[in-house]
Amino acid sequence: MILRKLFIFNILLVAFVGSVFADDEGEKKEFNAAETILHHVQNTHDWHLTDYYGTDESGKKVKKSVAIHFPWFFYSSKTGFEFFGSTHAMHEDGRFVAYHEHPKALAAGMSIPEDYHGHGDLPEETFEADHFILDLSPSKAVVHMILVGIALMLIFIPIARAYKKNEGKAPKGMQSFFEPLIMFVRDDIVKTYLPEKAVNKYLPYLLTLFFFIWFSNLFGLMPLSSNIMGNIAVTGALAIMTFIIVQVNGTKDYWTHIFAMPGVPKGMLFLLTPIEIISLFVKPIALMIRLFANISAGHFMILSLICLIFILGKGGESVGGALGIMPISIAFTIAIFCLEMVVAIIQAYIFTLLTSVFLGEAMESHDDHH
Amino acid sequence: MEGVDGNIGVIGAGIGAGLAAIGAGMGIGRLTASAVESIARQPEATGDIRGAMILMAAFIEGVALFGEVVCLLAVFV
Repeated sequence: MILRKLFIFNILLVAFVGSVFADDEGEKKEFNAAETILHHVQNTHDWHLTDYYGTDESGKKVKKSVAIHFPWFFYSSKTGFEFFGSTHAMHEDGRFVAYHEHPKALAAGMSIPEDYHGHGDLPEETFEADHFILDLSPSKAVVHMILVGIALMLIFIPIARAYKKNEGKAPKGMQSFFEPLIMFVRDDIVKTYLPEKAVNKYLPYLLTLFFFIWFSNLFGLMPLSSNIMGNIAVTGALAIMTFIIVQVNGTKDYWTHIFAMPGVPKGMLFLLTPIEIISLFVKPIALMIRLFANISAGHFMILSLICLIFILGKGGESVGGALGIMPISIAFTIAIFCLEMVVAIIQAYIFTLLTSVFLGEAMESHDDHH
Repeated sequence: MEGVDGNIGVIGAGIGAGLAAIGAGMGIGRLTASAVESIARQPEATGDIRGAMILMAAFIEGVALFGEVVCLLAVFV
């Protein structure tokens, strides 16, 4: 057991080597709030922890950043699967920056000029691959989702075991903290909207959905983390899962109501059927955008309020301005932060609720009123 | 000329975001007003009314967020 743990730890260490590299943009730049905010909400290939000012070999003052770089993983139609470690591993042959910025080019079998070490842009055509390349490398959101998944497993597997162990007895410890929430999802969401026979089949998925979204949102509010659900690809994937589950479970009645609504004149169907088909796709798209926009909006708000200090402080020139706005900015940030903690669980609730509503709609049979 | 175009886009996005917020605010305001009124009339149905309210608020909010995302695209893309 210990050996296995060590092994996993070792793999993590090898794959995710942290690196410190210098950036030539040490000179004073005007503070750009939009750029800063976008940089913070973007999904990247490294986990950027912090920046600091240091000196390079020639004694020049440069901005250095501390970041954890994730491994690169490509599928190339010419060479098959290609795996690169983090940028640090590439440092030895003097090309780590090139790997860092253009790993796709290397997967394509392009050669990087020997004298290229810096951050300067290489001509674009150097990296035009003549064959198909699929970028499968994990990004920040992926790694953070895995972390959330591990946290979920660490919390909920013991809880599930505890339910088996003290069956019929009062819950203990962590179990008693999460029991009200589990009961809430089961009774107020799943049992209300799903037909009786489907409750036990879909309860595990819906519980996972609820806690995964909630934990991801809370994780996103922690310092140094990324906003997982503020990434439209993540919410899109969740929405696609909802879409597939709903369509797979659609009864005959469900499809009849889409393609030929009963009790409607034939002429009206020309109008109604396209609308029904569009609404089929609008539902998951709305799910995707709702979660994405809510979580992104919260991050934008918090970052904008923090950026106010830097805008009024004019990048360190006006200390009075920064000090003046600081209490207001911090107070508002704390208020928004508390609101976001609530939004985190409300959005998880709404996503789970709507998924069960759509699922319930698809599984319902309309024999009773037609 | 490029700068002027960019500015007009940003102004449009700002106005659009505001209008979407007005729409959602009015919608959710009316919804909540009715829901609170119904709860006052029939306190025993609080749970059902709250559930329906949150569901409908989510739909209204969804439409508003479509608008906001379009505005975001107008600024950044």
